[in-house]
Amino acid sequence: MLKTGPYLRSSLTIEQVMVDVLIALIPALIAGVIFFGRQALWIVFLSTLTAILTGAVLLRAPFNLRGILGDGSAAVTGLLLGLILPSTAAWWVPVVGSFLAISLIKLAFGGLGYNIFNPALGARAILLLAFTSQLVKFAVPFDTITAATPLLSSRTFSWPLLWGNVGGSIGETSVIAILLGGFYLLYKGHINWRIPIGYVGSAFVLALLWGLDPWFTITTGGLLFAAVFMATDMVTSPVTFGGQLVFGVGCGILTIFIRQYTSFPEGVTFAVLIMNALAPLIESVTIPIPFGVGLARETRLKGIAAAGAALLVAVGALVWIDNTQPALTPILSHGQHLPIADWLGTSDFESLDFEGSRFYVTWNEEEKPAKAVYLAEQGGFNGPIRFLLVLDQEQNITDLRILDHREDPGLGELITKPEFLDQFVGKNKHNELALGEDIEAVSGATISSRSFTTGVKRALENFELAFFPQEEILEWADGTYFGSADSFGGKLEVEVSVSEGVIASVLVTGHSDTPGISDGAFEKIPERIVALGASKVDAVSGATVSSEAIMKAVQNALEKAGTPLSEGVMAYSIPPDGTYRGQGTGFGGELSLEAVVKEGRLAEIVIVESSETPAIADGALDQLLPAIIEAQGPVDAVSGATKTSGAVLEALDDALVKEEGQ
Amino acid sequence: MIGRTFPRGGGEIPHRKEATENKSIVVFGAPPEVVIPLKQHIGACCEPAVAVGDHVKMGQPIGEARQFVCTPVHASVSGEVIAVEERPLPDGGKSPAVVIKNDGNDQLYKEYKPRDYEEMSPEEIRRAVKEAGIVGMGGAGFPTHIKLDPPTVIDTVLINGAECEPYLTCDHRLMLERAPEMVEGLLAMIKASGAETGIICIEANKLDAVEVVRQAISGHDNLSVEVLQVRYPQGAEKQLIKAVLNREVPSGCLPCETCCIVQNVHTAIAVSEALKGKPSFERVVTVSGGAVLDPRNVLVRIGTPIEDLFNFCGGLIGEPAAIVAGGPMTGPPVAELGGPVIKCSSGFLALRENEVGFDQNRPCLRCSRCVEVCPMGLTPNLLGELSSKGYYRKAEQLGLLDCIECGLCSYTCPSKRSLVTWIKDGKAGLAKEKAS
Ligand code: SF4
Ligand code: SF4
Repeated sequence: MLKTGPYLRSSLTIEQVMVDVLIALIPALIAGVIFFGRQALWIVFLSTLTAILTGAVLLRAPFNLRGILGDGSAAVTGLLLGLILPSTAAWWVPVVGSFLAISLIKLAFGGLGYNIFNPALGARAILLLAFTSQLVKFAVPFDTITAATPLLSSRTFSWPLLWGNVGGSIGETSVIAILLGGFYLLYKGHINWRIPIGYVGSAFVLALLWGLDPWFTITTGGLLFAAVFMATDMVTSPVTFGGQLVFGVGCGILTIFIRQYTSFPEGVTFAVLIMNALAPLIESVTIPIPFGVGLARETRLKGIAAAGAALLVAVGALVWIDNTQPALTPILSHGQHLPIADWLGTSDFESLDFEGSRFYVTWNEEEKPAKAVYLAEQGGFNGPIRFLLVLDQEQNITDLRILDHREDPGLGELITKPEFLDQFVGKNKHNELALGEDIEAVSGATISSRSFTTGVKRALENFELAFFPQEEILEWADGTYFGSADSFGGKLEVEVSVSEGVIASVLVTGHSDTPGISDGAFEKIPERIVALGASKVDAVSGATVSSEAIMKAVQNALEKAGTPLSEGVMAYSIPPDGTYRGQGTGFGGELSLEAVVKEGRLAEIVIVESSETPAIADGALDQLLPAIIEAQGPVDAVSGATKTSGAVLEALDDALVKEEGQ
Repeated sequence: MIGRTFPRGGGEIPHRKEATENKSIVVFGAPPEVVIPLKQHIGACCEPAVAVGDHVKMGQPIGEARQFVCTPVHASVSGEVIAVEERPLPDGGKSPAVVIKNDGNDQLYKEYKPRDYEEMSPEEIRRAVKEAGIVGMGGAGFPTHIKLDPPTVIDTVLINGAECEPYLTCDHRLMLERAPEMVEGLLAMIKASGAETGIICIEANKLDAVEVVRQAISGHDNLSVEVLQVRYPQGAEKQLIKAVLNREVPSGCLPCETCCIVQNVHTAIAVSEALKGKPSFERVVTVSGGAVLDPRNVLVRIGTPIEDLFNFCGGLIGEPAAIVAGGPMTGPPVAELGGPVIKCSSGFLALRENEVGFDQNRPCLRCSRCVEVCPMGLTPNLLGELSSKGYYRKAEQLGLLDCIECGLCSYTCPSKRSLVTWIKDGKAGLAKEKAS
């Protein structure tokens, strides 16, 4: 059999291509090891080794070095996968990932050249869905603590993003290293400019249109790495030039949409995989026009015109969507426009900061908030949940949304869905917001649901504190009082001084709580109590027990000042000195009494007239009257003499309130 | 990069012309026996005009052209016809052939008498060309007299001196050594086809030839030289026209649709010889390749066995990995070393293992390199795939018939897939499907 021509062949081989790709990945690997340490190298080593071995075993390669390494494509897949994993992943993550990449995504489809999906990305997608928490925590460079990617914690470009000195997957953070590899591949002719430029360019433009920081957009979340190494994967991208451009642009657009509308902050994995699936279709509609077919130039001009028109339509549609559906406002971007004015019904609103929270409010005639938007925060499962509440005049929740969270993609993130959030609409501070009764938790995400519900409840309480500080002003007799309560480390003692009826100072005089941890509470809580004039204030996060103890101790002290301070029980507002008469209806008939006010205090209560049964009433009154004087306000009825007690309280009310009215 | 080129696809390939480009053409007298096929061209086969036992003279017509697309063949030696029978062609095909036993006298059939083309009518020039049996000597073998009488108006005649195939240098040497003849032939063809201008197109790796040709055309205002970028396949007709005239030959059409014709250097020289009555019975052939002891350009009689030609060049060193007729990119393999040199044989190469590459048919990486280099803007990976699976019609929709078989896709492919072979098979399969 004669060998057919051509008789000259380029020296390029599959092995050469693969070796060049491996070389191009070295800068990214080095950057990863510099920033994330030896753990990064370990992950990459495991993924590469597993990929090579899986390929060799499944292909029954001959047992020698050449045979095991094969054409090198398995090594490329393994290295790529390693570089898109976080360095904090457990050892089995790269192993399982590489095994799946080679066996399921590559060989099951027919091996090199026949796989539809990029094996490394396919594997990451599976890992992302199956072992979310292993993939969403990233090491902070040069450190052992973990954090989310900068995508979640920042919104704007900064120089460390260029070097890669930020949290992220091992090989995805360093722009410089990725570009180095990219230029090498371009120089070697293994990739061309169409896919990377299409990808990065479209993402840039879209980010610009969307009001995001375009430089930040293209330098984070593995976008550049995907544009240079993943989307350009030969096997899974179109071979036609037009197709490559469309493919790249499609990846860019999808990435941004996924970032904006879903809880997958990086977006590139699914963007590229979706485009992989579309590649054959794209290819079939972008078959080049052969030489000599049609008037090439005219066709090309028409093509350009059509592409331009399509782009305009797309941009127009986007702007339209953006304008008509504010409800679709991206979850993950509190750096951007929130329709505050729409919620408040006017752009004439005021912004206030109180206790570290921000409020946007409009006022009614009573100088109380007519409508308000409250940006609040609550600790969630993985980190803070930032959310906002829109409240009406009665402090009913009319709208709410989660701005930012780090709950697990898949389950925890379901708390951002309207099915869950809508349950809060119409609720207000009087509602218990009990999980399971008022609010159905998202199944499988109870912790996230509970955290968020608690957050809403606290936010409502804080709002109350901020704008309606204890409608009835509490007053105590001037003086200095001592109180105590049980805390973390034992007894905690406070000294409370009251002057002109209000709390003037709170001093923690003794405690055995751990220094450091509780310091915040000792600093803040007394301040807050003085500022609010009430013993019940916001606890300091991280020092809740100490905070609560201080509040209890202050309450204990104030009880000695004569006014019980339990919720829902009001003290009398004491009129000027003098004697006041009042009436109430008792068991036997009218009861009238005189209340004597001396030095701003209710000093004595004298029953003037009574038709109560003396045997019952006398005993009761002996208990009741001193208690009222002690409390400077209503107290619980004496058991067995409820009617009589009620009559006394009614008469007292009558006496004091009537006088106040005059 | 100096010079113009075609806009789509193309690529750099090795030249490997050093072995022969600086050596003058040598004359290989005449072998003891020549085998002259009656079909050395595209079109119908000639009818034999002689019978066994006849004595023929050098230049005597031994095959008559009775059909339109056909051209006569002539005896390349004087001697006795010892057989008229089927003989193998170099590419493995077969053709009726006249076998002549050389008497060594080189007795001329007709004396040559110089004629000035300016005194001849276009008609007369075309007849002279036809009677001389001239075909495209670059490799295609299309009868030249038909090309000179196209159905459209012609304004330009291009001389293809690109010689973009590696190893081959016969056109290069001819330009250096016989430029005036080439210019005369070109002028005659301009007149015959009714064109106005002539352009001699030379790749930039032959600047010495550019010099010589420039001198040869001085005094002829309608002639010019175009230096072209060294880029494969610059010498393909459609790519040449695009590069020089920026005209795109429509798919499925001949170059005359763009008001020009392209002729090979050697063809132009043959035309000038035809004017004085010398038929086409010898040509210059490049004999090269690592397995040839003394590579050179040889002036050889048509009908000389290839084996004799190699032996004339010192013989072969060991067993060659491939023997190719023509250039290594497009040339077919030589199936039969005893086969003859024919009019469109531009070269014979004996290649050693270390200078060739073959199909390996590893999986397609979809790397798009073949798409990138295809000068016809095709998707060779898809064409190859469809053709090899028998989806000829589908392949046709993707431009199967536009492929010029330049071989660049196979050359470039990292998986060494037999793209061109599949495409050629696909074309044949499609033709069969259409015929039935
Ligand atoms: S052989 Fe055909 S398909 Fe291949 S590059 Fe040349 S023209 Fe294109
Ligand atoms: S050059 Fe070869 S491997 Fe690359 S796309 Fe073409 S046929 Fe496939």
